[in-house]
Amino acid sequence: MSSASKSNLIIRIIENKFTPYLVTIIFSIFMISPIILMLFNSFKSAAEAFAWPPTIFPINPTLETYVRVFNSAVPLTMRNSVILSIITTLIVLAIALPTAYALSKYPFRGSKLILLFYLASRIVPPVSLLVPFYIMLSILKLIDTHLGLILVYTYITLPIIIWIIKGFFDEFPKDLIDSALVDGCTRLGAFFRIVLPTSAVGVAASGIITFLWSWNEFLFPMIFTTSNHVAPLTTGVFEFVGDEVIEWNSLSAVGIFASLPAIIFFIFAQKYIIAGLTKGALKL
Amino acid sequence: MKDSTFGFLVALPGTLYIAALVAFPLGLLFWLSFVRFDFYNPIVFVGLLNYVRVIEDRVFWIALQNTIVYATGVTLVTTCLGILMAAAVSRISRFSTFFRTLLILPWAVPLVVSGLVWRWMLDPGVGIYNYLLISSGLVGNVVNIFGDPTLAMITCVIADSWTRIPFTFILVLAGIQSIPVDLYEAARVDGANMLHSFRNITLPLSQKSILTATLFNSMFSFRTIDVIWSMTRGGPGKSTYVLGIDLVDYLIMYTNLGVTAALGVIMLILVALYTTVMIYYLLRR
Repeated sequence: MSSASKSNLIIRIIENKFTPYLVTIIFSIFMISPIILMLFNSFKSAAEAFAWPPTIFPINPTLETYVRVFNSAVPLTMRNSVILSIITTLIVLAIALPTAYALSKYPFRGSKLILLFYLASRIVPPVSLLVPFYIMLSILKLIDTHLGLILVYTYITLPIIIWIIKGFFDEFPKDLIDSALVDGCTRLGAFFRIVLPTSAVGVAASGIITFLWSWNEFLFPMIFTTSNHVAPLTTGVFEFVGDEVIEWNSLSAVGIFASLPAIIFFIFAQKYIIAGLTKGALKL
Repeated sequence: MKDSTFGFLVALPGTLYIAALVAFPLGLLFWLSFVRFDFYNPIVFVGLLNYVRVIEDRVFWIALQNTIVYATGVTLVTTCLGILMAAAVSRISRFSTFFRTLLILPWAVPLVVSGLVWRWMLDPGVGIYNYLLISSGLVGNVVNIFGDPTLAMITCVIADSWTRIPFTFILVLAGIQSIPVDLYEAARVDGANMLHSFRNITLPLSQKSILTATLFNSMFSFRTIDVIWSMTRGGPGKSTYVLGIDLVDYLIMYTNLGVTAALGVIMLILVALYTTVMIYYLLRR
């Protein structure tokens, strides 16, 4: 085959209307198989999880791993993850909402600089701040406490969440606020009565993003926690990772739990999360 | 009250909070990198000694090299696959929401878990992917991927990319979908085939999202240790040992936190440099 007809063939294949479906299906298998395999694996007995050749579907599905997981430290770390993520989200929203409102609708001298500083703080690698935070939390006696981790989590999420929420507020017409002011509303009153309710979707999306980022954080809890009473699920997954043996089936069950909140949010609130994330990202 | 005064007062608490949690630790980091600090002995100013100790360590240079290979690998794989996925999905009319949801789900998996899952799937003793490689005849025998320096690095890159592709995919898809359809029509009338229009319309017009995604991917993969930590912890030998893990090891092993701080400053500068080079290189093309 000559090279001309060969490249013609390639273009014909690319232009075929079934090709994108085929490509998408192949990619989907690549992307989804680890999650599906992890889910199946969590229903295997210990013997089957260690069998060679490995099975894809559990031959004798059992709930023994889930019993084992629930009798370990995992539920405790899961509780910690919930506490840490929810409190972080509430604090971040409480601070970010008024700040973003002011920066979006009532700019002042230096407000651009402040926004730039938030953005620049994202370039600082968190791992670099491990030492200063370690010293600060040690002095404040906050090592191995929920509060200490929450402080770190807010540092990681707050600056970029302000950017995302500001993006949502920017779309809100200033005229509406001004006409409310004419009607006797205060500037803060306009914020609570008009801006917040209309931007509810954006606020919810930002809350979900904060929750998920906090939920996924691993580096700081790994260094700053020693007890299971504080440690989140991202460190709890190592419960079944021993020096000699890794209990893959139990580990898979924990992995599913660790991924569950985000999976649920992605299935039910995908549109809003994506809107929030792309808004924050494209502002760069 | 003037509007600008109002804005200033409302933005003040949040800004102070962030300053306390970012600017202050940052200042502390720089100061620490020039002193000997260990909680017990008096603090001594040591000049650049901490930096010298970091740079004189052979492991630092290995880690630096690994970090660059790793970050570049993750960025390349993520960006290329993300663009391909976005291009494919943008041409799909049926089930596109369904496929989009499937393709972004890996994003839900925490990076540590991603490392562990891929470690399991490729495990020489129980791994399904390892078994598939053998039964498909691609390899003759069980491969111990985590015993081979190159394969271990490739695996870490794949596992990390796997969770980062969705973000790139979503950004680029949004970019592609904002391109007016008329442009493609016009190009087709002029005799351009799909490959031409992909190169001359799709890529240049979704450049902003591609650049943004690339920037985030390179910045994050340069500094994140989650996947490597759960997968190889730097091994075998030091073949996947990256700067972030080096820093954590310093923190655990050395009582003098000044040295660790110096490595922190070096990492900060390297990330800034690497990201700048990345942007410059991408913008020039």
